[in-house]
Amino acid sequence: MTNYILKRLGQGLLTVFLTVSTVFILIRLAPGDPAVSYAGPLATTEQLARVREQFGLDRPVLEQYWIFLQQLFTGNLGTSYSFQAPAMQVVSERMPYTLTLATAAILLTAVVAIPLGVWMARRPDTNRELGVNVLTIAGQSMPDFWTGIMLLTGFAVLIPLFPASGFATWGGLVLPTVTIAILQIALISRMVRREMTANFAAPYLTVARSRGVGGPALTWRYAMGNSAIPVFTALGTRFAAMLNGVVVVEVVFAWPGVGSLIVRALETRDYPLIQATVLLTSLLAVAVQLVIDLAYPLLDPRVRLGKAAAA
Amino acid sequence: MSISDTATPAASAAQPSRAPSPSAVTKALVAKAGATRRRNAAKWKLRIGAVCTLVVIIPILLAQVLPLPDANHQDLSARRLAPLMDGHLFGTDQLGRDLLSRVLHGGQVSLTIGILAVVVSGAIGIILGAAAGYFGGWVDTVVSRVLEAQMSLPLLMMLLLVVALFGPSIPVITFVIAIAQWPEVARLTRSMVLVEREKPYVSAARILGLHRIQILIQHIIPNVIKQATLVVLLLLAQAVLLESALSFLGAGPQRPFATWGRIISDGQDYITTSWWMVTLPGLVIVLMVVGVNLLGDGLRDRPRRKKKGA
Repeated sequence: MTNYILKRLGQGLLTVFLTVSTVFILIRLAPGDPAVSYAGPLATTEQLARVREQFGLDRPVLEQYWIFLQQLFTGNLGTSYSFQAPAMQVVSERMPYTLTLATAAILLTAVVAIPLGVWMARRPDTNRELGVNVLTIAGQSMPDFWTGIMLLTGFAVLIPLFPASGFATWGGLVLPTVTIAILQIALISRMVRREMTANFAAPYLTVARSRGVGGPALTWRYAMGNSAIPVFTALGTRFAAMLNGVVVVEVVFAWPGVGSLIVRALETRDYPLIQATVLLTSLLAVAVQLVIDLAYPLLDPRVRLGKAAAA
Repeated sequence: MSISDTATPAASAAQPSRAPSPSAVTKALVAKAGATRRRNAAKWKLRIGAVCTLVVIIPILLAQVLPLPDANHQDLSARRLAPLMDGHLFGTDQLGRDLLSRVLHGGQVSLTIGILAVVVSGAIGIILGAAAGYFGGWVDTVVSRVLEAQMSLPLLMMLLLVVALFGPSIPVITFVIAIAQWPEVARLTRSMVLVEREKPYVSAARILGLHRIQILIQHIIPNVIKQATLVVLLLLAQAVLLESALSFLGAGPQRPFATWGRIISDGQDYITTSWWMVTLPGLVIVLMVVGVNLLGDGLRDRPRRKKKGA
C-alpha cells in the first residue's frame, strides 16, 4: 500500500516535472519578447536590455533552465512581471476561487447526472428516454461560452436574479456553475446510462432478481455498485481537469480564478506567472488523480491497490 | 393477447379472409418491441441529424455563390440592424457587416479547421493505436505513456499556450486541435486491435507467411476502421466546439475571416441591445454540432447490416 502510494506519487511528480519543462521550452521557443510587452512599444534598446537583464532573459537558455530548476525545488518561481508580486503567491490567491467553482460544478453534476443516467437506463427505448437522450446530445453540443452569455443575459440582465460577474456574493456562483454543469451533466449522464444498461443486462443481475432482490436495492446496490468505479473516475477526472482553470467560463463571468489569470499571463508573456500557474494546477490535478485511485478499494472491495496490474 | 388486433369491427370483418397467423406475436407487439424502437430511434436520429447538418453546411459551402454582401465590408450607416432589416437576414454587427455573411464565411474557416484536424488526429490515432495494440511491448508502453501523460495535462491551457505563442494561424490551430484529439482515437483503436489480433484469421495470415505489417494493414485495420471512423465523426463535433472556444478567447484565426467564436465574442459587448449578434451565430454552432452528434449516435445505434454473401 505504502509502496503503491510512493510509486504513484513518483509518477505524478514526474508528470508535473515534464509538464513544466515542456512549458518552459515552449515559451522560449516561441516568438515574442516579454521585455517588449513589459517595457511598452516606445522603449529604447537600452531599456529593453535592462529589462531583459533584470528578468534574467539575457542569459543562455540552458542557464535559465538551471535557474528555473533551482527555483522549482525552492517553490519560488520568481516575480510576476505584470503583478510585481511573487508568481506563486498570485496564483495561490486565485486558486480558492477556481476550487470553489469546480467543487460546486462537480457536485451539481453528480447530483443531477447520476440519477438521470439511471433513469434513462431503467427505461431504455421508450419515447421519454429518447427525448432526454436528445436533450443530453443538445447539452453536449452547446459551446460553453455561448451558454454562459445566454444565461448571463437571461438571468442577470433581463431578469436580474443573479449578479452578472465576479464572486462578491454566493449568488454569483450560480450562473457559472450551471454553465459548466450543463455540459458535464450531458456527458456524465450518458456515461452512467451506458454503464447501467450493460449492468442491467448482465447475468448477475438476473440472478439477483431471481433471488427476489428488487427496487432500489437492485438498482443502487447491485447495478450501481458495479459501476461505481468508472462513474467516480469520470467525475474525478473532470474535476481534476476543472482545476486547471475553467478558462472559458471564468472569462465569460469575469471569475477571479486561475483560468482568467492564465489568459492574461499568456497575453503579457508573463513567464514566471505562466510557469507558476502550470506548476500549481498540474500538482493539484495529480493530487486529485491520486485520491481517486486511493478511493477505489472503498468503492469496490475487489480492488487491491499495488496489485493494480493483476486486478 | 394473440387476437388483440381484432379490436375494431373492420378488422374482425377482415379476419376470415386472412390466413390465421401461426405466431402469437402481432405486428403491434413487434412495433412495440425494444429492438424496433431502437431501430426507429436510430433512423430518426440519422434523419434529423442529416437535416440539421445540411441546413448549416450547404449554405456554408455556397457562401461564395449566394448573393451576400462581403463578410468584411463595413457600412457604418447600417450598424447593428436587427435581423430581416434592409435585406440582412441575420442583421448586421457593430461595424455594419452582414452577420449572415460573416457566419457563413467564418464557418468555412471553422469547418476547414475541424475537418483537417479530425483527419490528422484520426490518422495519427489509428496508426499509433493500431501499432500499440498489435505490436505490444515497448511500442505499446511508449504510446500508452504518452496517452496517459497527455490526459493529465491541462489541455485547454496548453492549447492556448501554443496558439498564444505561435500565433493564431490556421495550420497552428489545426495542429493543436489534432494533438488534443488523437488520444481518443488511439485508445479506441488500440483496444479493438487487441481483440482482433487474437482472432483465428490473424493466426491463419501468419501461418501463410504474411509479414506482420502486412497483416496489420491488410487484415486488421480494415476490420476496425469502420468503428474508428465513427468516433472520428463525433470528434468533428468536438473539434468545431474547441475551435470556437479558442477563437472566443481570441486565439482563433483572424484572416481571411473571423470564425464563430470570435463573432460571438465581438457581439458579447452588445448583448443587451443587439441580441442577434450572439444568439444567432451560437444557434448555428448548436444546430450543426447537434446534427453531427445525432448522425454519429444514429450510425452507432443502427443495427448492423449482415455482410453480403455471408
